[in-house]
Amino acid sequence: MDLTSFLIQVLNGFNLILILLLVALGLVIIFGLMQVINMAHGEFFLLGAYTVVMAQRCGLNFWVALLFSAFIVGVVGLMVEFFCIRYLYDRPMDTILATWGISIGIKQLIILVFGPGGQMVTHPLPTMVKFLRIEYPAYRLFTMAASILIILITFYVLLRSDYGLKARAVIANRNMASALGINTRKMYRMSFVFGSALSGLAGGIMSPLMSVDPQMGLGYLIPAFLAIIVGGMGTLYGVLGGGTIIGGADSVFSYLISPVGAQIIVFSMAIVLIRLRPQGIFGKQS
Amino acid sequence: MLKITGLQASLGGSLILQGVDMEVHPGHIVALMGRNGVGKTTLMRTVVGFVSPRSGQTLLDGKDITGLPPHQISQLGISYVPQGREIFQSFSVYENLRLGIIKFKKKDRKIPAEIFDYFPILHERRNQKAGSFSGGEQQMLAIARALVSNPKILLLDEPSEGIQPSIVEEIGRILVKINEEKGVTILIVEQNVDLIMDIAKGCFFMEKGKIVAETETCHLRQDDRLITQYLAL
Repeated sequence: MDLTSFLIQVLNGFNLILILLLVALGLVIIFGLMQVINMAHGEFFLLGAYTVVMAQRCGLNFWVALLFSAFIVGVVGLMVEFFCIRYLYDRPMDTILATWGISIGIKQLIILVFGPGGQMVTHPLPTMVKFLRIEYPAYRLFTMAASILIILITFYVLLRSDYGLKARAVIANRNMASALGINTRKMYRMSFVFGSALSGLAGGIMSPLMSVDPQMGLGYLIPAFLAIIVGGMGTLYGVLGGGTIIGGADSVFSYLISPVGAQIIVFSMAIVLIRLRPQGIFGKQS
Repeated sequence: MLKITGLQASLGGSLILQGVDMEVHPGHIVALMGRNGVGKTTLMRTVVGFVSPRSGQTLLDGKDITGLPPHQISQLGISYVPQGREIFQSFSVYENLRLGIIKFKKKDRKIPAEIFDYFPILHERRNQKAGSFSGGEQQMLAIARALVSNPKILLLDEPSEGIQPSIVEEIGRILVKINEEKGVTILIVEQNVDLIMDIAKGCFFMEKGKIVAETETCHLRQDDRLITQYLAL
């Protein structure tokens, strides 16, 4: 393996990790706040990508379409919360079934409208950038920069703003938070919308780089769940570590062996890790 | 200030509050005493909205607050320090205090500086994790967190529980001072008779989900029959 192809692989690995983190971050906020395991999160990713497809067909510029993907999927999240999730806050197990149902519904709806095949997104930035003696697609560099920026903003909001303080208070002690005058239901709704929009945006960002088809959500939902479990439930930093490990291992083994082999290894690794450390690598013993 | 009439509430099918009637007057420190399991904590939790009453009424300054959700009751000016304090252990002292005023609109979110006159330690250690505090310090933080919003009434559930006697005395002195200087009404659930004698003006006794006696605390000094009847084991 020569150095240039090695560098490209490293960059691709980072690419995967960062997108995985965007998806997992939305999932972990929703789970941490509301104890809702959102099986439809992968379909929010998918809807983000299809929003870009639709917007481009309507003649919109890709970058505008990208903003739309966050906005439209945020509205879908709002509707899902309003018509379904809010009735199930006291029944966490039922939310798995309900969101799974929503996931199937969205997928079938997409198949009805667009058919089961892959859709094309016109590549917005086909140039290559030369640096460190390698050539790398400019758009992939953009996805990395955008992901890092969004992750930093999310953490800043959660750790420094009053909204974040409220959200963390609800996560830490729901009852005490409401006794302090925080409307927990409103927090749930806002966070569900925010988490959905993050996943939609991730789907939009990835749409030029992958096949936009009805199954694309699953490929991110499962690794995102693994990232959360491996990192440790209920820790915001844990998801960063978990995402890096899962995404990193997946790209390394995909390169060394094959994508299928990598999945087998990553899953086995996750099982062993959870067996040895049920609270996750960064989680505290409760 | 706070008027409760015929309040009934049940937990897990059994009727815990069986028609509570009590009135707390503005500016007073009033105690609620009784043995374990008579319904004192359930009464507190019903007033602040965690338990929905089966019947009866709670009025705050004449406004009916019965059955409202906790966050609305809090916004109307009832601050609650629950049993076991429930401070946010992994948050800084400052963040805990900020959560006391987070219910206000953004421009009104200011921690009143005088809170640090009552609890200077909170200022010195504002960046420390609340979980690193001793039990007594955590209790002070919980009380301060409840007071930064300048509530009409402060409800305290067993503030002396698990805290060393010298700190209990100090907390008692601070509560009296806050009550005198700021005029905050305080309703305090306690089993510690010494603390109540030191700080409270009036005292309610509860048994089997009802208020069974009411007295001025000063009478308890001369006559401890109520205490033996409703508190002694």
